[in-house]
Amino acid sequence: MTTALLALGALGSTIAYSIETGGRLEPAALGVGALSLAVLAAGIVFRWPTTVPWAIALAAGAYVVGREGRHIVDGWAAAIGVLLLLAAELATWSIEHDARIHTERALSVRRIATLALLLGVALVMNFLLLGTAAITASASVVLAAAGLAAAVGALVVVLRLTRG
Amino acid sequence: MTRYSAPKLGGYAVLSAVGLLAALISSRPELVALTAPFLLALAAGLALATEPRIDARIELDRERVLEGDDVTVRVAVESPTAVDRLDLYLQLPAGVELVDGHNPVALRLAAGVEREVELTLHATRWGAHKLGPLFTRARDPLGFLVWEDAPPVRSELRTYPREEVLRRVLQPRETQVFSGNEVARRKGQGIEFADIRHWAPGDPLNRINWRASARRNELWVNESHPERNTDVIIFVDSFAEARLGGEGTLDFAVRATSTLADAYVRRRDRVGLISFGGILRWLMPGTGLVQLYRIVDALLDTQIILSYYWKQIDVIPRRTLPPNALVIALSPLLDLRSVGALLDLRARGHDLAVIDVSPVPFIVRPQGGLDAVAHDIWALRRDALRHRLQRAGVGVVEWQDDRPLQSVVEEVREFRRYARHARV
Repeated sequence: MTTALLALGALGSTIAYSIETGGRLEPAALGVGALSLAVLAAGIVFRWPTTVPWAIALAAGAYVVGREGRHIVDGWAAAIGVLLLLAAELATWSIEHDARIHTERALSVRRIATLALLLGVALVMNFLLLGTAAITASASVVLAAAGLAAAVGALVVVLRLTRG
Repeated sequence: MTRYSAPKLGGYAVLSAVGLLAALISSRPELVALTAPFLLALAAGLALATEPRIDARIELDRERVLEGDDVTVRVAVESPTAVDRLDLYLQLPAGVELVDGHNPVALRLAAGVEREVELTLHATRWGAHKLGPLFTRARDPLGFLVWEDAPPVRSELRTYPREEVLRRVLQPRETQVFSGNEVARRKGQGIEFADIRHWAPGDPLNRINWRASARRNELWVNESHPERNTDVIIFVDSFAEARLGGEGTLDFAVRATSTLADAYVRRRDRVGLISFGGILRWLMPGTGLVQLYRIVDALLDTQIILSYYWKQIDVIPRRTLPPNALVIALSPLLDLRSVGALLDLRARGHDLAVIDVSPVPFIVRPQGGLDAVAHDIWALRRDALRHRLQRAGVGVVEWQDDRPLQSVVEEVREFRRYARHARV
């Protein structure tokens, strides 16, 4: 229950930020964000893990809609990305949780610590990424190259999973 | 071991790919920032994932217990590689309940360190209970990959039925040739006084009844009944049973069999067992504690197995039913094959007593309508069946669940005391 509420809270905060910075497309960001929350809530309630990426994608969509028309790189995107990962991890934790299985306290503590470490590293990495992208125009080429490499890497992972 | 990926692995991979491609297409660095944490989690998760090699074993502090006893089980697991999260589940059979401990349990397994999970189990029902299989489910630190296995570790807990105290048992009509605790009908060397008779050459002096000889002016000697052993065959009907709320007629029959076998073995009688049902099992008559354990061990494997094969008493090996043996049948009288076998036994001259383990308390009578009528007709037919056995000279007593076995045995004794031994 706690993890579910925290997941919804993390996702809600990203959506709130998107609406806050929404500008003229605020109603659209609100709509997409609300849909994202609804999808995540349904996924948690009905224990559908496949809905989590959809909810995250919708929340990211709400953010993009909110950023429409703004050309300055948003520094808060680093935190938004980390919050989306937090929402996804907590939602997965909530869905996976089985009350019949007694979990050792040390195991839960370790999981929290692992998640915190992951989020911390992700935040630092995001700040570095956004900093690189915001310095000069030539940096966007570096970013594009890095993005392309990462995209290809992600596709390779998907293909490997499909084969496995 | 089965390996599969958690749904979030595919989800994160797709999110990362789509996010990065969208960032490239839209030239928005923010989208990279949204996607990068998922890509980082994915990369870290897959880099940290190592296939576990889990060794498990199950240890019982006692392998033989009585119904109602508690037993401690230790599940020990070890892996040469660290397992960040290991779910363990020991499947418990019916008749064994968890009293203390956690099952299933999730724990962390450090590399090369053995972990033990202690469970206290309560044996609620007799039987040879097989504990296991043990199911394991290991996950990598970020939960992207899952390995499931069921290591071949099983352990057997033999739960013996609880016995009642019997002060007196049924006495067979005829005794056997070996010495025992039963006073024989025939006369011979023994302690129990039987009669006096004229002295005959060869009679020892210590058998002369001096009072009777003085009164009659001729020598009279005492005669006595020898103490002999008996052969008892316990016949358990395992064709059918009635069950309600975790208890059934077979449970009562098995407990009674164990009690009777113990009582007869203590009297130095020879005891045999016939489990007549879907699977026929038998034990030749024998005596002593070893025979008692053989009988109880054989009882643990007794179960109701559905069979349409029409079995008669001929299928039982001849040596299992020695002449002059008392056959005590424990049957719910639900299957005509066992009733037919009992009548056949009686017709062949065996000394037979039937304890009808009543299925009536295990069947809820319908409130009304045709079902209630059918129930009443069934009950009447059971009465008729008992009378049919009684007419054949068989002592039959209905055993309801709340009666002690001793009172049932006494009722059969009374019937056998006054009933005429019929020739059928």
